[in-house]
Amino acid sequence: MNKFHTILVPVAGRPEDEDALEMACQLARLSGDVKVIVTNIISIDRSLPLDAEVESEIAKSEAILARFENLAKKFGYPIETNLLQARLVAPAIVDEAVEQKADAIVIGSAYKTRFGEFSLGDVVPYILQHAPCRVILNHRPASL
Amino acid sequence: MYIIVVGGGRLGYSLTKALLSEGHETLLIDKNAEVCEKINKELGSICLRGDACETAIQAEAGTGRADLLIATTGEDEDNLVACQVAKYRFNVPRTIARVRVPRNEQIFKQLGVDVTVNSTNIILERIEHEVPSHPLTHLFCLTGDNREMEILEIRAASGSAAIDKSLNDLQLPNKAVLGLVIRNGEKPFVPRGDTVFKPGDQVIAVAPTDAEEELRKLFSGK
Repeated sequence: MNKFHTILVPVAGRPEDEDALEMACQLARLSGDVKVIVTNIISIDRSLPLDAEVESEIAKSEAILARFENLAKKFGYPIETNLLQARLVAPAIVDEAVEQKADAIVIGSAYKTRFGEFSLGDVVPYILQHAPCRVILNHRPASL
Repeated sequence: MYIIVVGGGRLGYSLTKALLSEGHETLLIDKNAEVCEKINKELGSICLRGDACETAIQAEAGTGRADLLIATTGEDEDNLVACQVAKYRFNVPRTIARVRVPRNEQIFKQLGVDVTVNSTNIILERIEHEVPSHPLTHLFCLTGDNREMEILEIRAASGSAAIDKSLNDLQLPNKAVLGLVIRNGEKPFVPRGDTVFKPGDQVIAVAPTDAEEELRKLFSGK
């Protein structure tokens, strides 16, 4: 396996995202000299311009990123944080991976059902399909 | 400018691409999931899947802050309803609709669509323009306050009333202006009072739509 240089960790503040960050930090420590970028994306409704400043959402997003920064310290690896605004989350993650020239996207997923069937939701399948780099899916079992 | 394009067919797709390249914030609405997926893959997340005739979809599209809505589907009914929802429910300042059946154009105008583009008429006029014996071609219709004016190209036929007469001697219809003359493929010139018209002259005129018949008679003799 090639050495990682940049790992992108998209987060929305859920427990499965914490697991993903922990995994990214472990991978980074193993490889050494890896940039870990934690990104939170604010989805902007089309009734507003893309660059609209929605204070409540920005505050929420900044709080999430601050929490993950602290978590990363606990995991013993420094990270960079990034706040983005986009119409749709999944394409924005893929675009950010391209922009940052990421070697890998580490994303968390939790056990979810939709119409009684197991489902990965909309974001993960899109990233798996469109990402230009490795995608490491860290799945949190339903028992946790 | 925030522009919403309805219909992701060849026309809607090309138009969206052009508008994006001009730097406009553009959203395309199409009913077909496959079309949306293809467009989103190529142009970014700019396609919304749904029926633009529905208020809920237009609300989701943020039509309330749109500067312009252009309906380009192949169905006149859909284009009319999409424009009307945009105009009367979301107060979009300008709506443009593609019209396929020429007789529907008047209905669109009566129901408040700001601009109609009739593809059948455009093709017809282009073909007419290429027919050498055709005396009169509609080049452009001036909309807005000057809605009744159009720009015409007239070919002067030998034996017609205008031949060998100067501009001062012509009895032009009221409000009609002859703006340009192209003679034998030479450099075009602006006619003056003493310009004498010759057979084969191509004359560019600005005139009220109801003056068309008089101009035709003057230059074609028919």
